[in-house]
This record gives sequence, structure tokens and C-alpha cells, in this order.
Amino acid sequence: MIHFLLKRAGMMVATLFVIMLITFSIMHAIPGGPYSAGKRLPEEIQAALDEKYHLNDPLYVQFFDYVGGILHLDLGPSFKYEGMSVNDLIAQGFPVSATLGVLAMLFTLAVSIPLGIIAALKHGKWQDTLIGFITTLGVTIPSFVVASLLEYFLAFRLGWFPIFGVDNLKGYVLPMIALSGYSLAFVTRLTRSSLVDVMRSDYIRTARVKGLSERQVVVRHGLRNSLIPVVTVLGPMFAGLLMGSFVVEKIFALPGMGRFFVQSITNRDYTAIMGFTLFYATVLVILVFVVDIIYCLIDPRIQLHLS
Amino acid sequence: MDQLKTDIWEPVADEERDIEKIARPSVPLWKEITGQFFKRKPAVIGLVLVIFTILFAFAGPLFSEHRYDEQSLSYVSTAPLLSVYEIEGEYYYASSSFKLIKVSKDGVLGDVIRSKRDDGMNKRYVFDLDGVTYYLSYKNGATGLQDKETNMLPVKTVRNKSYPLGTDGLGRDILVRLMYGARISMTVAFVATLVTLVIGVIYGSISGYLGGTTDLVMMRIVDIISAIPLTMYVILIMVLFNNGGLISIIIALGSVYWVDMARVVRGEILSLKKREFVGAARTMGSSTGYILRKHLIPNALGPIIVTATMQIPSAIFTEAFMSFIGLGVSAPMASWGMMCNDALEMMRSAPYQLACPAIAICVAMFAFNFIGDGLRDAFDPQIRK
Repeated sequence: MIHFLLKRAGMMVATLFVIMLITFSIMHAIPGGPYSAGKRLPEEIQAALDEKYHLNDPLYVQFFDYVGGILHLDLGPSFKYEGMSVNDLIAQGFPVSATLGVLAMLFTLAVSIPLGIIAALKHGKWQDTLIGFITTLGVTIPSFVVASLLEYFLAFRLGWFPIFGVDNLKGYVLPMIALSGYSLAFVTRLTRSSLVDVMRSDYIRTARVKGLSERQVVVRHGLRNSLIPVVTVLGPMFAGLLMGSFVVEKIFALPGMGRFFVQSITNRDYTAIMGFTLFYATVLVILVFVVDIIYCLIDPRIQLHLS
Repeated sequence: MDQLKTDIWEPVADEERDIEKIARPSVPLWKEITGQFFKRKPAVIGLVLVIFTILFAFAGPLFSEHRYDEQSLSYVSTAPLLSVYEIEGEYYYASSSFKLIKVSKDGVLGDVIRSKRDDGMNKRYVFDLDGVTYYLSYKNGATGLQDKETNMLPVKTVRNKSYPLGTDGLGRDILVRLMYGARISMTVAFVATLVTLVIGVIYGSISGYLGGTTDLVMMRIVDIISAIPLTMYVILIMVLFNNGGLISIIIALGSVYWVDMARVVRGEILSLKKREFVGAARTMGSSTGYILRKHLIPNALGPIIVTATMQIPSAIFTEAFMSFIGLGVSAPMASWGMMCNDALEMMRSAPYQLACPAIAICVAMFAFNFIGDGLRDAFDPQIRK
């Protein structure tokens, strides 16, 4: 167990290092520097500025400075928002995005697991076909299409929800639904296929033979085992929800991180792009690690396997 | 030596003779796969839709009288279904910029008539048609063309002949832009998938065949890459190429999405390389490259094709996503994601502008998903029976 976790932790550190390396190199490969816009500077001033911001250091020194900055949780200033650091931008946007992400995740779980169970228990019947059709829709329709449709019909035509903004909790409803579309379909499929497999296994037959009620068989023996694969996708799913929120935030004009990110792309705000990328990547990698630990804790078979 | 007992051998009963008979003639694999594939209705529908989309994309513009970047500013945001007013045998369409456009009986857009003045007090524009005064009211709840006594004129609906799917906010034909968008989507879909296919197959087969430390190192790299949020890196690469258009999207997608393919191929090669025919080939002195090319990869073709088909919809989606957030092809080129983004601002007044590209994306995604599912089932011997 300890060995396994150490290995995963090592993997996590390596991944983060590679992420920093890639981000740093891509950003350095972009022609032009922070002062190349606007007036041409006299050479002495350029040199002085380079000296001040260590831009004349060898690349690897710059890279380690950069890594050092990140280790001190400092992502640097934003090029385009004057007086704002990338940290400020993240601190401003992340609460909104995270709220949206958590809500979407809860919504996904609350809807998709029951749907998956129904589909699995009615395997091959019309309920299964219907749910299968819905999940195909969910997987194929891009989130920005769902978001626009929801906004058009529910917010604009029917006026049930605010068209944009998150002044109250109601404003989160449509973005949440739009955002969860894909993961909802995905988790439903996962729950269904895993429960179908579990219900065929020997210990389910044993449970039935013991005379347990169908409810007990499904809930206590079937469901608990079939939800393990669902747990493993939670980490990447949450990161995906954060990522998907770019477009949803844009459509519903939510003041989240995704909007800043899209803006920083349009503005070519390189430090901000770099900072957001790193932040997202780190969140993802850490979440995957946390899920690995949870995975070990809830499934005794894995611990057995590891020892 | 004892005499051989003959009573343990019995002739087979007649009815048991055909146990080993082959019920079906042996069919070559590709025939079997296509047969299975065409038995599946959704897959066939998907294939038809894809062929249609490709024709739409590459042959469609030939039949269109408009160009994708041609703007006619007098016909901004005209709907596919025009609500027209009939005045003395002539049809008039009130445009979103409060001008009247003459429309012929069969829906061809004609001259634009400007208003004489804006009667801001009563929230209406004043028009003069052959000496008769009409008002175009923009009062809340009472928009429309009114006659002198401010009675609303009856509305008729005519199909827009000049622009079958209407025009966008800059007066460009949506139908022809949809076709060019389809070009981008289809090109990205096939080329990016081809790139991931080549990289993934080479990487995966080398890793799987060589095994040992090489495999370990190569797969660690794949692990690390797949732990990175790929969308972010597609974005970074797009920023790096500074919106270089189609090529940069393809490079960005291709350089990032090959890891799945590499994993699948490695897994297949790993199990195939232990088979006898590989040993036989090696005994005969075939080189590693030859074995990979002639024995291993052809045998792993099924999963490779299925994985590649499954990647097409995600390539289409990523391209639409990128151009939606402003990182795709650059204007005036059309892409479905970009059209969605442009339409978003006009959503309230012109929802059809959003509907057209949105439906197109969904149809393409559906079609490729169905084909992918169909191929997967066709290649799966357990389902195939």
C-alpha cells in the first residue's frame, strides 16, 4: 500500500515536472518577448530590463527560477491586466468555476447513477434502450450546443432562469445542466455496464440463494461493487468539468476562471495562459492522485493485490 | 502382443456425421466485417450521413451562387423563413436593421427600401411606398408593419430563395458557410486521425514488440502524457502557432491524441508477438521491421481501425471547441464552432443562425459515433457469432 502510494506520488511529481517543462518551452518558443510590442527600446534599456527580469540568464536557469516561483505559489504578473497577478485572476475566478464544477458533479452523480442502475436492471428492455439513446445524445452533443439551447429555451423563451450571471443559486442551474451533459452520459454508461457485469457474478447468485430480497442483493452486493469504476473516473471527471466550463462560462457570462482563460488566449496574455494551464494541470494530477488513494481505501481487493 | 480390440470402435451414427461439417462457406475477414457492419442499421445510417456530409462539404459549394466570405450588408440576418407583408401585390420583408426589403413571390430578395425618417416619439420608422405612408413599429409588444391608421398588416411566410438557410450577422450565406465548415471538420477529422494513427501505431508497436526496458520507458512517457489535460496542450500549441489555421489544428490534435492509439496497439502487439507465426517468421530470419509490418500490424488492424474511428468524433469536437473559443481557423473562413460562437450574440433575434451549425456538429458526431460502434461490434467475434 505504502509502496503503491509512493510510486503514485513519484509519478505525480514527474508529471507535474513534465507539465512545467512543456508549458515553459512552448511559451518560450513563441516569438517576441514582453517588451517587443509597442515602441522599440534602446539597446541599453532593453539590456537593463533583461538584466532586471533575468531574461538574459541561460534558459535552464530561467526554467529553475520559474519552477522556484511556482513552488512558492507565485505564477507571476499578468501581461494584460495591469496590476493583477495570475494568482489574483485565479483567486477571483476559481471559486465560481469550482462551485459550478462541484454542483455539476453532484448533479451528474445524482442523476446518472440511478439511470445506470435502471438501465442495468432492465437490461435489454425498453428502459435500457431509452437510456442508451439518451446517453448517446449526451456523448455526441457538444456542451456549447447544449448550453446555447438551454439558454435559448429555458432562460430566454420561458424566462424560468436568469439569462446570465450568478447573483443567486438559480443562475447556476442552467450552466450546471449544460456542463454535466457529457459526464452524465459517461457515468450512466459506466454504471450500467459495470452493474450488468457484477449482477452476473457468482456472489450475486450466492446472495440470491441465501434468500436475500432483490433490493438487498442490488444495493448491498451489486451496487457497492459496481460503483468502484465510477469512483476512479471522478478525479478526471472533475477536471474535465472545470475544463468544460470554459465555454459554459462564456455562454452564460459567469465570472469564472474559464472566462479569464479564454480572454487571456484572445489577448495573448502569455503568463496568464501559462499560469492557468499549470493550475488546471496541477488540479487534475492531484485529483487523480487523491482518487487513487480513495480507490485503495474502498476496495479491499486492491490492497490485497498490492500486498 | 495382445490382439487389438476392435469392439471399442463403432461406426458413427448417421445423424452425428455432420457434427464437424462446416455450416457456412469460409468467408474472407474483410467480407465478414463489412457484412456484419452493413447488418447494423445505425452504422449504415452513420455511413450514409458521413458520405452525405463529405459530398455536402466538397461538392456543395460548386452549386452555390454565393461565396463563403461574400458579404451583402443589405441582407444582414435574413431568416430562412421570411415573414413578409403583402402590399398591393408586392411582398416586403422587414429586416432586423429596420429596412424594408422587397421580396418576389417565390422568395427572392430584391431592392432595399430605406425609411424616410425615424419617428422616435412613437417608436416607429416611417416608410413611403408609392406615395402611401407605412410605419414600421418597434414598440415593445407591437413590432411590425402598420398602415396609415396604425393597423398591423397581416404576415405571410415565404421561404427565403436567395439564402435557403438565411444569412448571418454579416450578411453571409449560412448554407455555403456550413459547407465550408464541413470541409474544415471533415479535413480535421480525417487528417488528424491519420496523424494519430501513424504516430500511435509506430510508437505502440515498437514499444510492444521490443518490450523490456524500452517498453517500460515508452509507456511511462505515455502515462505522463495522458495525465496532462490534453485540451490545455492543444490550446497551448494553437497559441504557439499563432492561429496558423487548419494545419496548426491538425498538428495540435495529432501530436497530442496519439497516446490512446499507442496503448491499444501496444496491447495487441504484446499478445500477438507470442504467437507461433511470429516465432516462425523470426526463425526464417525476418527482420524486426518486416515482422512488424507484415505480421503484427495487419493482425492488429481491427482494434486499430476501431480506435481510429472512435477518435474522429473527438477530433471534430475539439476543432469545434477550439474555434468556439476563438482558436481555430481565422476569419473569414468558416468553421462550425466559429459559426456557433458568432451566432451566440444574435441568439435572441436570429436563433436559426445557431441552430444550423449546432445541428451540423451533432449530426457529424452522431454519424461517426454510430460508425465507430458498428465497426467495434463487427470486429468483436463474441457479438459477431
